[in-house]
Amino acid sequence: MLSANILVELRNAVGAEGLIVERNQLQTYECDGLAALRSVPAAVVLPRSAAQLQAVIRVCARHHIPFVGRGAGTGLSGGALPDDRGIVISFSRMTKFLATDIPNQRITVEAGVINAHVTQRVTPAGHFYAPDPSSQTVCTIGGNVAENSGGAHCLKYGFTVNHVLALEVVLPTGEMVHLGSPTLDAPGYDLAGVFVGSEGTLGAASSMTLRIVRRPETVQVLLAAFDSISAAGHAVSDIIAASILPAAMEIMDRLAIQAAEAAVHPHYPECDALLLVEVDGPAAEVDLHMKQVRELCRANGAWEDRLAQSEQERLLVWKGRKAAFAAAGRLSPDYIVQDGVIPRTKLPLVLEQVAEMAAATGLRVCNVFHAGDGNLHPLVLYDRSIPGQEEVAIDLSIRILHLCVDHGGSITGEHGVGREKQQALGYMYSEPDLDTMQRVRCSFDPDNISNPDKVFPRPRLCGEKTGKYSPHPLETAGVAEFF
Amino acid sequence: MQDMSGPLAAIVGTEYVRGLGGAVAVAPGNAEEIAAVLRLAQENHLAVVECGGGTKQGWGYPVAPALVLEMHRLNTLREHTWQDMTCTVEAGCTWAAMQSGLAQHGQFVAVDPLWPDKATVGGIVATNDSGTLRQRYGGLRDLVIGMTIVLADGTIAHTGGKVVKNVAGYDLHKLMIGAFGTLGVVTSVNFRLHSIPRCAQSFTVSATSVEPVGRVMLAMLHAQLSTVAIQLRGGADGFDLDIQLASLPEVLETQAGALGVLAQGEGIRLRAAADEAWNARQRQLDADVVCKGTMLPSEIARFAERVRGLGGESVTQAGGIMIAGFPVAAAGQLMELRRELEEGGGSLMVLKQPEETRLDCWGTLPDSLPLMREIKRRFDPERILNPGRFLGQI
Repeated sequence: MLSANILVELRNAVGAEGLIVERNQLQTYECDGLAALRSVPAAVVLPRSAAQLQAVIRVCARHHIPFVGRGAGTGLSGGALPDDRGIVISFSRMTKFLATDIPNQRITVEAGVINAHVTQRVTPAGHFYAPDPSSQTVCTIGGNVAENSGGAHCLKYGFTVNHVLALEVVLPTGEMVHLGSPTLDAPGYDLAGVFVGSEGTLGAASSMTLRIVRRPETVQVLLAAFDSISAAGHAVSDIIAASILPAAMEIMDRLAIQAAEAAVHPHYPECDALLLVEVDGPAAEVDLHMKQVRELCRANGAWEDRLAQSEQERLLVWKGRKAAFAAAGRLSPDYIVQDGVIPRTKLPLVLEQVAEMAAATGLRVCNVFHAGDGNLHPLVLYDRSIPGQEEVAIDLSIRILHLCVDHGGSITGEHGVGREKQQALGYMYSEPDLDTMQRVRCSFDPDNISNPDKVFPRPRLCGEKTGKYSPHPLETAGVAEFF
Repeated sequence: MQDMSGPLAAIVGTEYVRGLGGAVAVAPGNAEEIAAVLRLAQENHLAVVECGGGTKQGWGYPVAPALVLEMHRLNTLREHTWQDMTCTVEAGCTWAAMQSGLAQHGQFVAVDPLWPDKATVGGIVATNDSGTLRQRYGGLRDLVIGMTIVLADGTIAHTGGKVVKNVAGYDLHKLMIGAFGTLGVVTSVNFRLHSIPRCAQSFTVSATSVEPVGRVMLAMLHAQLSTVAIQLRGGADGFDLDIQLASLPEVLETQAGALGVLAQGEGIRLRAAADEAWNARQRQLDADVVCKGTMLPSEIARFAERVRGLGGESVTQAGGIMIAGFPVAAAGQLMELRRELEEGGGSLMVLKQPEETRLDCWGTLPDSLPLMREIKRRFDPERILNPGRFLGQI
């Protein structure tokens, strides 16, 4: 509960219509895309401008109130999970386009602008915004910045961090600063580079200048059907070895194909492994590269390889892929989406081990992954109504992440650590590594109010060398557990 | 000051400690030795300067070190997992040595820095150097995927990893790139690699006035061509635009034709670029006064003309990073040039100048400077690493 005084201060900051305190309305904000973890915030504020955002954070700084920013709430790691003593800052009213500069391929937007709207805005000028998380029709740029979001096409085009040039940020102390610059190589530390992907723990961005990319002349997408994931994986390695850098390379297994087919009917071939390869660029180059890609697929045993014949069909192919997570709901009442990364060449080996681990638990694991960059999205399917099965599923999904780290990879390629993978971060990095990160966090947020108790393995206060583990209120209440 | 040679020799061995002017030079052999040396330096409040090839030691405010940390013993390309297109290289390895190792599998780190034969991975990362390849591949912040660093208190930390896609924890390596060694000593770097283009061709278009070549350059940024590198050179004799295309041989011919048509639209003729065209940036560093300017791409032509008006020469990559050389006589005008660049969201850093000109090398301080100072305080509370070198005398 926030005191009446604090509520007055918040109301002064954003106006009465920008403050939510009624319990039933607050419940809308109790979780993000990781719906297993829930916590009702003490209040929600909806600023309309950078000045209002700053006023809100000043109130938080004055009274040590934890805050977390929220775009569309599509994050998959619990990054926007509220603190029950704190407030949620919703960016749904900060949706202005501030400047568009086509000659210099830059656009400046407020944090609440939806990812796909940026592309829509610059499409008439022949450009697009490259990072394309599967939730791009609803997720916001501010959330993308917090999570350093990727997407299928980041294989060629890079992640959010490669496309953010400058940020206007309200620090947890309430000061407003400008990180990066619209030009390259701003003198000073690359604070924009550190801020992107910091999952809301270093402050809240009000607006950002993004790089936009010229739309390629031609885009072709190939659907290649294989009898095994390992054969499809070899085709991917051969394509890369042939010096071809496709815009995207995705693999789906039989279960994932079935789910996508049931959900959006993308007319995928029925097979054990479907490889999607999208090649884009100048027309003549695309034709030749695609010819090579098809030859390499056939050499690795592809028994069907067809090109999407129209733009409509191409979009349908991607719609099926992007619907894969949600479609898993058609296979199983409950599922956990994971997000491990491994060196690409370890794909066949790791997938074999994942299959063995799954078989040992009796659970099914459905595989969708960004094969080009080794980013796995195993979906662990389970049924919560069967006693004990959820625990087994959670345990399996953590062991899969540990397996990725053991093979030289990472616990997250694009979903972030959030609340979900805090403990796993400690598996990936040593204490000195994490302490070094804490030096950065404490520089930005000495009072630990900006999305506290996220990312790092256990709550730690600035100045404290190694803190003792203290359970989160949610844990003690039995509402949630760290994993 | 007390003699540190004894305790240093105890860490690295007598043969790796020597006097160097008024300072002591020490050449550690690994990250653990660096950690021990830094702990000693911190206890004794010794100013430490890291040194690779020594090519850019003059950049930033001058530092008088008590200890010079020589990195040449950490010179190995430790891992090249070519199938995954990543590598791990020690900071004291020269850029050229690293690239020749990677080239055995037809790969490279897609950056073309200054003085690659002498400059080391660590120094290039510390100064965030980049060349014309940035057009296609991005800069170091887009290509470094992990690092090992040693902090002033001897903490050895790993950041990032060996996979290209990774959002676990903060990207501390981005903080180290361009930090001029003020936050920690980088001991090894993990890079994302690219395939060396098998077939590339370079062209040049020239004109006595900047407008037509400037327009061709801007059109190139939006053209459907496989462009790898673009730079605009300007000086007393006029302006040249160099363009490198890389694609399959049969595609290149068509694209060269399209490029020729584009140039013809401005009434200028396309010709094959001279071999030394791509070294033009490095040659600017021979001038008496040398600056790095940053600007939006649409401003490049205007500032190239402005530099020529001051009697200088410039080489600018199309992303908007200019290296300009001036005669000493132009020094008095450079603060006005800085003001103009900063007005457009850019900057001007003075990289090299004779002692008498005394230009401030970094420029107007950003509003994030207090935050930068706080980070420095938490990484290096005793201010032993390159003290005073960075902007704001950090």
